[in-house]
Amino acid sequence: MKTSKSVWFFSLMHLSRTQNNIQRYFGTNSVIYNKKDEQSVPTHEISKETESQDSVKENTKKDLLNIIKGMKVELSTVNVQTTKPPNRRQLRSLEATVGRLQRAPEDAPKKRSESLSPELVAAASAVADSLPFDKQTTKSELLRQLRQHEEDSRAQKEGERPKISFSNIISDMKVAKSATARVSTRPVHQIQFDEGSDDYGGQEKTADLRKSLRKNIFKGKRLNIFDLKAVTEEAPEAETAPSLWDVEFAKQLAAVNEQPFQNGFEEMIQWTKEGKLWEFPINNEAGFDDDGSEFYEHVFLDKYLEDFPKQGPIRHFMELVTCGLSKNPYLSVKQKVEHIEWFKNYFNEKRDILKDSNIHFN
Amino acid sequence: MAAAASARWLRIRCRLCLPLKSRRADPCEQAPSCRFYSESAALPNVEGADVTGIEEVIIPKRKTWDKVAVLQALASTVNRDTTAAPYAFQDDPYLIPASSLESRSFLLAKKSGENAAKFIINSHPKYFQKDIAEPHIPCLMPEYFEPQIEDISEAALKERIKLRKVKASVDMFDQLLQAGTTVSLETTNGLLDLLCYYGDQEPSADYHFQQREQSEESEEATEENNEKSRKKAGPQLGVTWRAKNNAERIFALMPEKNAHSYCTMIRGMVKHRAPVQALNLYTELLNNRLRADVYTFNAVIEAKALMVNEKFEEKWNNILELLKQMVAQKVKPNLQTFNTILKCLRRFYAFGRLPALQTLREMKAIGIEPSLATYHYIIQLFYQQESSAKGSPLIIYDIMNEVMGKKFSPKDPDDDAFFQSAMRVCSSLRDLELAYQVHGLLNTGDNWKFIGPDNRRNFYYSRFFSLLCLMEQIDVTLKWYKDLIPSVFFPHSQTLIDLLQALDVANRLELIPQIWKDSKEYGHTYRSDLKEEILMLMARDQHPPELQVAFADCAADIKSTYENQDARQTVPDWPANPLNYIIVLFLRAGRTQEAWKMLELFRKHNKIPRNELLNEFMDSAKASSSPDQAMEVVKLASAFSLPICESLTRRVMADFAVSQEQKEALGNLTALTSDSDSDSDSDISEGK
Repeated sequence: MKTSKSVWFFSLMHLSRTQNNIQRYFGTNSVIYNKKDEQSVPTHEISKETESQDSVKENTKKDLLNIIKGMKVELSTVNVQTTKPPNRRQLRSLEATVGRLQRAPEDAPKKRSESLSPELVAAASAVADSLPFDKQTTKSELLRQLRQHEEDSRAQKEGERPKISFSNIISDMKVAKSATARVSTRPVHQIQFDEGSDDYGGQEKTADLRKSLRKNIFKGKRLNIFDLKAVTEEAPEAETAPSLWDVEFAKQLAAVNEQPFQNGFEEMIQWTKEGKLWEFPINNEAGFDDDGSEFYEHVFLDKYLEDFPKQGPIRHFMELVTCGLSKNPYLSVKQKVEHIEWFKNYFNEKRDILKDSNIHFN
Repeated sequence: MAAAASARWLRIRCRLCLPLKSRRADPCEQAPSCRFYSESAALPNVEGADVTGIEEVIIPKRKTWDKVAVLQALASTVNRDTTAAPYAFQDDPYLIPASSLESRSFLLAKKSGENAAKFIINSHPKYFQKDIAEPHIPCLMPEYFEPQIEDISEAALKERIKLRKVKASVDMFDQLLQAGTTVSLETTNGLLDLLCYYGDQEPSADYHFQQREQSEESEEATEENNEKSRKKAGPQLGVTWRAKNNAERIFALMPEKNAHSYCTMIRGMVKHRAPVQALNLYTELLNNRLRADVYTFNAVIEAKALMVNEKFEEKWNNILELLKQMVAQKVKPNLQTFNTILKCLRRFYAFGRLPALQTLREMKAIGIEPSLATYHYIIQLFYQQESSAKGSPLIIYDIMNEVMGKKFSPKDPDDDAFFQSAMRVCSSLRDLELAYQVHGLLNTGDNWKFIGPDNRRNFYYSRFFSLLCLMEQIDVTLKWYKDLIPSVFFPHSQTLIDLLQALDVANRLELIPQIWKDSKEYGHTYRSDLKEEILMLMARDQHPPELQVAFADCAADIKSTYENQDARQTVPDWPANPLNYIIVLFLRAGRTQEAWKMLELFRKHNKIPRNELLNEFMDSAKASSSPDQAMEVVKLASAFSLPICESLTRRVMADFAVSQEQKEALGNLTALTSDSDSDSDSDISEGK
């Protein structure tokens, strides 16, 4: 019986998997599912089947619980022989089913729960055909199962039994990683019911946590220890040399996003930084290091002509000199200034002669 | 004149749109400057219209460029080549790695070569004095790791501390003390820093290769990388704080101690797992009316959480108490403070969840931007053991909403673990949409650099790709396959099996031979689970003839790997399943000869053929109308005492023109089988 139930699960999943890829979305994302539902005709047909499955599920929560419990047992036996392909296949679809159940929207469309639709019967037989087990038995088992669900759902409709929250049952279920699973199989293959470590903080804490989670995780109660003002205000930091701790922490941080080079240029960047490579010129000052003086100090030399006459031949001459100097890339700023100074001194010395020639130099 | 020249310079060099101020300001300019005017007319038209007005002169800000700006611009133009190995592996074609194992050894070999060269140069600097580079390149010259100052002085001690010679520094300190020299407080603190950081052990001389400490890595060891030796944890990990070590001795000897001395001691104790001593020293620090810095508080928080024999609640209250002390002492918390708290809360399991959220909100509230590591800790706390506990599945969505589109810079040593844990959650939630979001974040800006070292990258991409195989349409999956493999990562065999299953679901089995070719290339030639999966998928159903031929070729190739493997292992072993599948594939492709040859292997290795296989053989015998072959099949079946023997015999009788002798032989065989039928039940079930 248990086998047939899990087979039923498996078969429906399998069906949707093989028939249509889009259907696979259904398993995981309710939003997409709803979208797909309203889409093209072939998609719709298939989703009908799953829908009817859904409605059955809706109404037979207790059965589902049984089935899921059954699955657990089934799994533990299956796990032993995961190397067998058909079993693994089954497992995989089971996983998918579980994943879907966990995230299944609770407001799933409640539509049809009348009689077994012909599609469903066809699907069941198709599933039975695709299975390596005895086909007739599988099919009849599947159908019997479906019919029973149908009856149950009808009975429940009449009686309005007290609702057992489906989500509560499912939320207690989790896919856990087992320590031994690492060696051979993928850990997600294992399903177990575990209520242990999670309820650590007791009921009160959990309720608190849930309330805390319902909203955005960034909004809610905080520790209320630190004050924004106290933290942001600038405190005079004592200037100290970085200690060994600081240096090593900086190294660690630098290593965090260290990745192998993506291309040759990145390698060249690294070499440039290490000083192994000639710096790639980025402007006309490449390799030009004049004690950090800027280009305008090289070019604008007019300010050194203050002490010279405002007009006349000396002014003319000096302007030509500064023009020449400003174009000279070989002299440093200091040398250029010295050059101008030299002329100043020269003209100062020759002041007498200049005076004779009727030229005033200050 | 000078102005003219300079203006031209400006225009050419800096694209400065110099407004035409000088035009009016200096009307008595000389003739040559006319050229300047005419040229400047070519400047942007904005000025051209209102020459007469006197406008504000807006001098654009000078742009300073990094010296590698051009290289960076060039580098940004290079995209990943999806058909090639990553750049780091491009070398001699023979050496280009094709599997994750090879790539790892490639990188290690490259790095160890560099290290070896450096080691030789640095240990024999006198042989490497010739300066060949012009201009001089300092980093190519030997570094001096041996102390140069011989005499006993504080300068010599400082030099030894700078060179991180732990033992030599301690010796020097002792000699100084014996000589009666007092060492300055600053130098002693430097010595304490050294001793505490390295736990009074000589730092390892492995040239900073993968020296990063990975304290809590073990819990993340995954099936993906447990085969790799995880020796990355530096040698410091094993260092524990010994009581009465040199650090404690020197600390006790110090005539005057300042806050720094205490702080570095506390940090060292916590780093080397001595929380009790650290907390004691912290009390002492408070008694001496000194103030701890924020780093020390971070360390003490960790110490509180490390304390054994305390309940989670108690520990949490202690941590809160410490935070209040920080406020009282006006110590500003930093990112590390909160990350340390969250890191510790991870060990509190479910209890840690509410405090963790409060801590996160506190961070946000006081304006400390969480780093990737912060989110990593939260994710780890809420998704322990891949569980989907109550309510927590929403956490990851909130986090992703928050970080979407942000560019991160490294702020915490654990920043590179985020993407791995986020993808782990996506994979356990089976949420493809979320996985795409995470991947989108990874490809925002330079975030991809946070994917971490090789094993993390492999884990991340394997999980991502497995999820794609499971959830995505096959065409999209194949597109990702082409895009990611091999230029981003080399697939694990499980990854390939996932892909095969996706192909199966989508009915695209014709791609299997290609996948097998790839698997061989990526070093999975001898993965029997992968080979079995491939064979199973190929042999399960009937296919059109062309496809069967391709499959048979592929099967022959796989067969040869089994045979080669025999040569490697000296113990020849043919598992039953692949044998069955390969023969079936041969039969369907009409390679009857080979199939018959392989049938012998069943007998040789004492494996039992399946019923379907024998039926296939019968079909093929019938197709070639050869009763001898049919007889062979029956003989084989009876040799294994299979129950199918009887029905096979019946088929031979019905379908073939059998001679009298053969009939008799058949009769004998059947009798034999029915005799031994009873005791061969176990074999049958195995054969199925």
